[in-house]
Parts: sequence; C-alpha cells; structure tokens
Amino acid sequence: MNRRDFIKQASLASTAMFLPKFVSGFNLIDSAVATGKKLVIIQLSGGNDGLNTVVPFRNDIYFEKRPSLAQQKSNLIGITDDIGFHESLIAHSDLYHNGELCVVNNVGYPNPNRSHFRATDIWHTASDANEYLQSGWVGRYLDVTKSKSLDAIEVDDTLSLLLKGEQTDGIATKNPKLFFRTTHAPYFKKVVQHHDDAHLSEHNLGYLYKTMVTASNSAKYLYETSKTYASKIEYPNNEFAKQLKQVAQFINSGLQTKVYYTSLGGFDTHANQVNKQKRLLKVYDEAIAAFIKDLKQQDSFKDTLIMTFSEFGRRVQQNAANGTDHGTANQVFLIGKQLKKAGFYNAMPNLSNLDENGDLKFDVDFRKIYASILNNWLDVDATKVMRSSFIDMKIV
Amino acid sequence: MTVSEIVHLYNRVGFGISAKKVQSLQGLSRVEFVSQLFEASQKVEPLTINLTELRNSLNGLNLKDRKKIRSLIKDSVKKVHELNIAWLYKLGTTEQLLREKMTLFWANHFVCHDKNILHFEQYNNTLRTHALGNFKEFVIAISKEASMIKYLNNKQNKKQKPNENFARELLELFTLGRDKEYTEKDIKEAARAFTGWNHDLRGNFRLRRFQHDYGQKTFLGKTGNFDGSDIIDIILQQKQCAQFICENIYRYFVNDKIDASCVSEMTDIFYKDYNIENLMRFVLTSDWFYDQKNIGTKIKSPVEFLIGMHRVVPMKFEKERELVYLQKLLGQHLLFPPNVAGWKGGRNWINPNTMMLRLRLPSVLLANGEIALDEKGEFEDDFQRFNNKQNRQRRLKVTPDWNAFYKNHKNITETQLQQSLLASPINKGTETYLEKLANQDLKETCIQLMSLPEYQLC
Repeated sequence: MNRRDFIKQASLASTAMFLPKFVSGFNLIDSAVATGKKLVIIQLSGGNDGLNTVVPFRNDIYFEKRPSLAQQKSNLIGITDDIGFHESLIAHSDLYHNGELCVVNNVGYPNPNRSHFRATDIWHTASDANEYLQSGWVGRYLDVTKSKSLDAIEVDDTLSLLLKGEQTDGIATKNPKLFFRTTHAPYFKKVVQHHDDAHLSEHNLGYLYKTMVTASNSAKYLYETSKTYASKIEYPNNEFAKQLKQVAQFINSGLQTKVYYTSLGGFDTHANQVNKQKRLLKVYDEAIAAFIKDLKQQDSFKDTLIMTFSEFGRRVQQNAANGTDHGTANQVFLIGKQLKKAGFYNAMPNLSNLDENGDLKFDVDFRKIYASILNNWLDVDATKVMRSSFIDMKIV
Repeated sequence: MTVSEIVHLYNRVGFGISAKKVQSLQGLSRVEFVSQLFEASQKVEPLTINLTELRNSLNGLNLKDRKKIRSLIKDSVKKVHELNIAWLYKLGTTEQLLREKMTLFWANHFVCHDKNILHFEQYNNTLRTHALGNFKEFVIAISKEASMIKYLNNKQNKKQKPNENFARELLELFTLGRDKEYTEKDIKEAARAFTGWNHDLRGNFRLRRFQHDYGQKTFLGKTGNFDGSDIIDIILQQKQCAQFICENIYRYFVNDKIDASCVSEMTDIFYKDYNIENLMRFVLTSDWFYDQKNIGTKIKSPVEFLIGMHRVVPMKFEKERELVYLQKLLGQHLLFPPNVAGWKGGRNWINPNTMMLRLRLPSVLLANGEIALDEKGEFEDDFQRFNNKQNRQRRLKVTPDWNAFYKNHKNITETQLQQSLLASPINKGTETYLEKLANQDLKETCIQLMSLPEYQLC
C-alpha cells in the first residue's frame, strides 16, 4: 500500500464513522470517490457569444465583422494589452488576476454541429460529431468508478444526458427538502420499507425496486446531510444564483458528491444581443462571485474546480438584427485554486482563418479538457471514460 | 385465453385492458382474439388538427418576406405542440389499438422531427397508413416525405455535392443495422441515387432532375443506373434487412432480450413478402409470445404509462402545457425525439428521478397530489420567464373522471382489478403489505396498485 492509498483508506474510514445509520450496509463511499475533490460544471445554454465575452479589442477583423456589436475598449475590463473581458465579468477578472482562472480559447471539435440539441448532446456525451452516444461522460465516470447515483447531482428537476451512465445515472434535484418529501410520502415510504430484498432478481422488476431504494436513500442522505450547513453569504436573487447556492450547501455540508452540473439558459442571442448578453453574463458572474466566496469561507474552494462551457460560440459576422447566429468554437473557463496553468491557456482565435460558414476553426478539442480533469482532478483513467485517449493538457 | 394472456396481449398491442373488458372477452380463442384486433385496426384514421389558416397563408406567400416567414414558423411550432397533445388524446381513446401502437413503434424507427406542422402532420399519418402494410412501400414513402428529406439533409443532397446523411441512416437505422452488409462506399453510392429527391412548399415529393445523378452506381455488389427506389429494392433483398426489423419488433413487442430462434422464425415469415400485418399476426398467435418469461417483464415507456392510466381513469388536463412538462419529466416527449436514433427504451427510461416521479404520479394525477415541475432552461432568450421561475410545488390542474372508472368497474373485485393492472407478479413483501390494506374503496386500491414498481412493467 503506498501513501496515497493509505490516505484514501484512512479518510474513508473516518468519513464512514460519521455516516448516519441508515446508510450503513448501503456502501455509499468507495475509494474511487474519496479524494475530496469536487467538479462543478456550468453550461451557458443557448450558445454564449464568446467573442464578445473575451474580446480581442485590437483586432480589425473583429470590428469589421461586427459593425454594431463590437465592444469598444472603453466598455471592457482590460486584461492584457489586446484582450478585454466583457464589462459584466467583474468577478472573473479578479479571479484572473488571482491566478484562479484559466481561459481555454477556441475549444471545439471536428465537423461542428450548429443545432442546440445536437451540440449539447455532443458536449454531454463527449462523442464525435457523427456519433450518437446514449450516455454522458459524467455518467460513464460513475460507471467506471463504480460510484453511486448521488455522486453526481444535477441541480434541476430533470436529468440531462450528461449524468446518464450505462449502469448508473446521477440524480437531479433542485431542492433536497422537496426531493426528500416526495420520496417519503407515506405510501411510497411503506413500499420501500416492506418490499422483500431477498426476491429482487436481476430482472427488470428487481432493477425497478433497486432504483426506488436508491432514490429513497439518496434523497434522505442529501436532505439530512445538506441541512447541516446554512450559507451566510448573500446570493443574488435569481434562479441561477439559487442553484449555485444549493451546490455550495451540498459541498460545504460535506456531501460525498463529486460532480455537480447546472445551467443558465437564454444565450441564444439572434437579435438585440448587447443588452441580453450583458444581463446574462452579469447573472452568471455575480452568482459565481457569491459561490466562490461561500466556498472560500469554508475552505472548500481549494478542492473545487469549476468548468464553464457553452454548446457552441456564435458566428463571427453579426447578423442584420443586431445579433449573432449559431457558430462553432468557444472559450471554456476553468476556475480553481489548483490550476496548473492560470491565465490564458492558448492564443485567441484566428479571425482571418474561418471555415466555409464564416465560423471559427477550433484549436483545442473539448474532450482534451475532460480527459485532463478526469485524469488529474477526479483521479480516474480518462481513457476508460472517454473510450479513446485524448492528450492530457496538464491544466489541473 | 387465460386472464393473464388477455392482459398481456392488450398490454403489448395497446395500453392495457380494463377489468370489465377482460370479463366480457373471456371464452374467445387466441386466433379469434388476434383477428379481432386486426379487424379493429383495418381502417386508417388519420391524426389531424386544424391547419386551415396555415395552409391558406401559403397561397401567394412571398418567400422573401422574412418577417412573415418568421411568424409562420412560430405559429407552426405551436401547432406541433398541439399535434403532440392531439396524438396523446387519440392514443387515450382509440379503438384501433394495434395500428396506433405500431405507429408509435415506427415513429421511433423512422425517427424524425420537423417544425413545419403541415409536413410533420403528413409524416405522422404516413407512419399510420403504412403501419401494418408493406415494408417496402413504407420505406419508399418515408424517403419521399418532406419532413424526412429535411431532417436527414436530403434537401442538400445534390449531384454536384452529395450529402450522405440520409443514405447512412437509411442503412444504419432504417433497414440493415449498423455496419451490417454495407461499406462506406455503399453509403456514398446510395447517396448518389437519392440526389435530387426533394419536396415542394406544401410537402409533396418532387424530383429535381438537374440535381439528380442519373449515372451508374454500384451498390451492395449490383451495378446499374439506380435511383432511390432501386436502392431500397436491393436493400430489401438482403435477408439481414428482414432480420433487423424483426429484432426491433421483437424487442418492442415481446422482450428486451432477443431470443434468436423466435427472431429467426419471424425473419423467415417477413422476408417472403415484407408484409407487416402477416408478421404481426404470426407473432401474436405464436405460443412463445405467451411464455411466462415474456409476460410482465417489459418496462413501460412514459407514453404507455400515462396512456395506460388514462384508459383506466380518464383524465382531463386543464392546462395542456402541463401534459407537455410531464412528458419531458418522464423522458419521452412525443414528436420530439432526442436524436435520429430515437429513444433507447427499456431500462433507459428509469433513473432515480423518473422512478420516483412514476411512483408518485398516480397520486398526483388522480388524488390531487403535488409535484415539482419546473422546465429546464430554454435555449431561447426568455430572460423574464427565467427570472420569474420559482422552485415550487405545483398542483397540476387535472380532473380525473372517477365516475367513468366506477361505471366500468361495477362488480369488479380488488383481485380482478389487480389482475388487469399488474402483469408482473408482486414482490412478496409488498404483497404482504398490500394485504393489510384490503377492504377499502376500489378507487384507493386502484391508485395504490398504480403506485407500485410492478405497475411500471407490462
């Protein structure tokens, strides 16, 4: 046994001691998920306009292609001599200066798809553009590490493909109390209590009963654990901030869950983009600010990695309605205390070398980022989850 | 037929059967039963909603009027939702069980989506028309449907620049199965044969001669100046095609797990003439269809689950939007498949969330319970609504018609009700618990039985 294994097992033992009674015999913890590291995935749904988020304000092509949409330098938060952040990204610029933000530019994949649904599936499943996978990469992470459903939580009412595995699916819940109340309605509770474990077979009925028990136990564990922590940080009053507050509550209460996923919608700015994007990025940035403050106060920020992506970026050339249409590559934000490479991971996209649609040609395959996170943050062999190997980027 | 066999048959070709109807049907032989089912499905009753206004607005439409087009698309998308609801209600009341169930099956085989309601309604009815017909005519008809031509990019498939999307899915998903018998080269050649297959504004098939490649193609070892229909002809000559369809039918109607010898019997029948009705008649009258291992073992799709409840206790949704949410929460929003491969089905329907929802739904719908029911963040900019969204419990506005239930369940015992609702044997511990609850109102029993894991099976 090497030192690392020993620490894993030791922490396993100590955590187990604090597990409430009802989970005993329900082996919730296993060594694969005992490292304490958390991953929070955020999707800016609808396709955020990356070019107006991280802005090359000295690029002539940018101004040519966006006569009414281009962000002037005076409107931006200066980051480098020729790159500025959108004015709403106040917290992000602080993170940048603290070395707690890594911007990976121009992330995409070959033969990009411009449909929201399909592109989201591709990002969720980590598939090729012409490949239809029925499981998400987080779901497969659960499978490979033999984790439990509650090791991955989506803060929403329905479960996205991202958290669906081949054997195990994650759990979706916005509100653990509500979730608990649903699973513990009197009749439901009775059936859970009275059913006969001995006769659960591998057949579909056994599968249904097991899933029911998982739901019930997870709901109870989530509720009883998470209620032990109440955040003292003030969050903005909107749904997205509430969701991040919920994630912070989960993390700070010591929940075992490894991966969280939540999304902020509305970025499909085909018309009158400026004000809409400004509002949305403000919602995003302010919620992140409160979230990080919350984590830092409990010293859990150092073990948390936040990844923000969008299913695609938008076309370089603006449209006639003061908006932008669906595009391709986009930046990914990584936020954390333990980044191996903070600041800009790579150069800004090349606006003079576009594809036949006038869209960006990607530099970094998004699956490389996943692979790096899996290998170096979640401590699992990425090739087993991704099913093919992607070069490790050494960013976390 | 035994009660269990009758219930099994109706579960698979329909959405269950009421205890009353089981009583009235006892005494018929298996062949008589099955014949009745086919007779009831003889006629094709299309699914229609009122599209007069949209149709009229196509007269003299100026395609350059972008504003007009945008508003038409918006109206059309609304109508697709209306079609979704209309389809559900049709499933809830139809007497043509087999045809409608087959239509559902084919809708998840020839997977398609379209925002253009005129085209999409027509597509849906093409599925219905051919559901029990000849498979070859079916494939040709589907290939000529405007919705399909758009969905799989055959619109962009031109002699000068072929698009392989349709040809690839035709082989992989519709006829032969992934990587069976064909090569990448065959896909390319097939794509050439479908060049120029297009449609007009109203959704009629049009061959664009100047975009069609009339040249020689070599496909699956045969060479000729093939067009799309020839390609379909050659595909169907492969026995693998008959086998692929039979496997899918077996999985959908009989068991998730394939029994090779049953499928082989089916394939021999189907390969003769590709007559879907004959194939189904064979399946439904065969002994193995009624084997114990095939009864009560399939996980209901969300639609089977919802419609099954509705057919026992008719429900009226005050807000149809809530019925849309429900389909989304359960993971099957009809007319909105997740991708071209369709819903995977089986255990994929079930995760801790959908399982809980299913177990809670009968009391929510039938006994005025509550449910957390917020829609996912939409892609479109809908900031106002997004911000107003509250994480709250909602009481669905549903009115269950218990009078209809009582009328249909006069003199029905609890045991009879249970036999008609649950095809699967009950877990021992659960059964003991249920026995303690005996001697109550039939309505309560009904809700309790529907709230069991066993009710998720058919």
